[in-house]
Amino acid sequence: MSSTEDHKILEGIIAGDEVIITTFYKQNLQYVRQYILQNSGNEADVEDVFQDALVLVYQKSKSGSLVLYSSLRTYFFGVCKNIWRNRLRKNKKMVITEEIPDNAESIPPEVIEYITQNEREHVYRKHFLNLSTNCREVLRLLFEGKSMREIANITGYSEGYTRKKKFECKRSLIEMIEKDPIYQELYLTKKQQRHEKKSGNI
Amino acid sequence: MKRSPEIFEKIEGYLTNTLPEEELIAFEKDLIINEELQQEVEKHRIMHNVLRDQDTLDFKEKLMRISTTIKKEEKVTPPSYFSSYWKVAASILIAFGAGASLYWYTSKDQNKTQNLYASYYQTFPAEDNTRGSTTNEIQKVIKQYTNGAYDSVVIALKNHPNLKTQKRLCLYLGNSYLNLDQEKKAIHQFEDINPTDKYYEIAQWYLSLSYLKLNQPQKTILILEEIISYNGVYKIKAMKLLNELKK
Repeated sequence: MSSTEDHKILEGIIAGDEVIITTFYKQNLQYVRQYILQNSGNEADVEDVFQDALVLVYQKSKSGSLVLYSSLRTYFFGVCKNIWRNRLRKNKKMVITEEIPDNAESIPPEVIEYITQNEREHVYRKHFLNLSTNCREVLRLLFEGKSMREIANITGYSEGYTRKKKFECKRSLIEMIEKDPIYQELYLTKKQQRHEKKSGNI
Repeated sequence: MKRSPEIFEKIEGYLTNTLPEEELIAFEKDLIINEELQQEVEKHRIMHNVLRDQDTLDFKEKLMRISTTIKKEEKVTPPSYFSSYWKVAASILIAFGAGASLYWYTSKDQNKTQNLYASYYQTFPAEDNTRGSTTNEIQKVIKQYTNGAYDSVVIALKNHPNLKTQKRLCLYLGNSYLNLDQEKKAIHQFEDINPTDKYYEIAQWYLSLSYLKLNQPQKTILILEEIISYNGVYKIKAMKLLNELKK
């Protein structure tokens, strides 16, 4: 694929062009699916990894920090594979069947670091989008920095009900996040690191 | 740690620097010795930071919707090696008599209306929001609409007070419902635009497409005939669609 085409795709991704994104999705899903299914994953993993990788491409393109040393497709597959390997490694299910030469994907180390750092973000977003529309509305306004009174005015709820609703929605979101296997692995890894640090200090 | 509304409010106050001084001092003291509270604060901090980025949320929401559409398409269009089996199965059904034939023709009709919907439907374009005097809030909704974050548009517009006065917003809301496969709610929005409104013809066009999506071609035909007699910018499109529906 030419760099002009890649450029058009990236512009489409930033602009949220549904046709471009859908085409990219359809053209690349099968490859990612094959890789993940062959390496201990299931269909839900395929969807999560594919979308999380595309979110990464979106965020990096939008901030102007996406540097391509290869075609967009190669870069994208590299991101997908790194996300999946990262999750397998944390999950102690590291059974990669495919031999990948070192130069197969040009993913700079800082992107690999970025993938690790952003694992938690994906979990938060995924579960937030699974909340009811009313919960999302209340929490969206809260995260925007609106007061309970402002949220009550916008939603038409009473202030007391808004407070109650905000608490229930937030608690439910935290509970969903805590039950997520990716979050649990990240939490355990962090706890272990803290413990090792403390032991080292002693 | 037992979660309660009071603890959440304190954490939120702490994160947004809105706790009164005395409460802040007490909270910080507690925070130093209470590891569970530290972890809870961290969870809230990440939540607020990540979910404040509405653009990325809109993008993720769009991906989830695209994925659902692709899955639906995969179900409707089975892989080619199955197609011959489907044809054989369909032939057997027809051979079984009138009941099976009726089923066959009904599904064929449905395919026709869905294909026509797919080829005629285009999301109503958002107005250039750099012009005019749109509020920041409406500009944000328009951006979400342009980005295809239809769930967010619905949340923002469904109870919006300006829906009654700015009928363009009804078109955005109706189109968002159509994209979320909530045709009846879309119909309600389009029907809410009356004949004296400048958006009436556009609303009628999307109303006809909503009924088409619901596989109610007779209703679509009636509305298309009205659009044709209205003699406006949608006349030619309406005539073409009407011809194809009557074929």
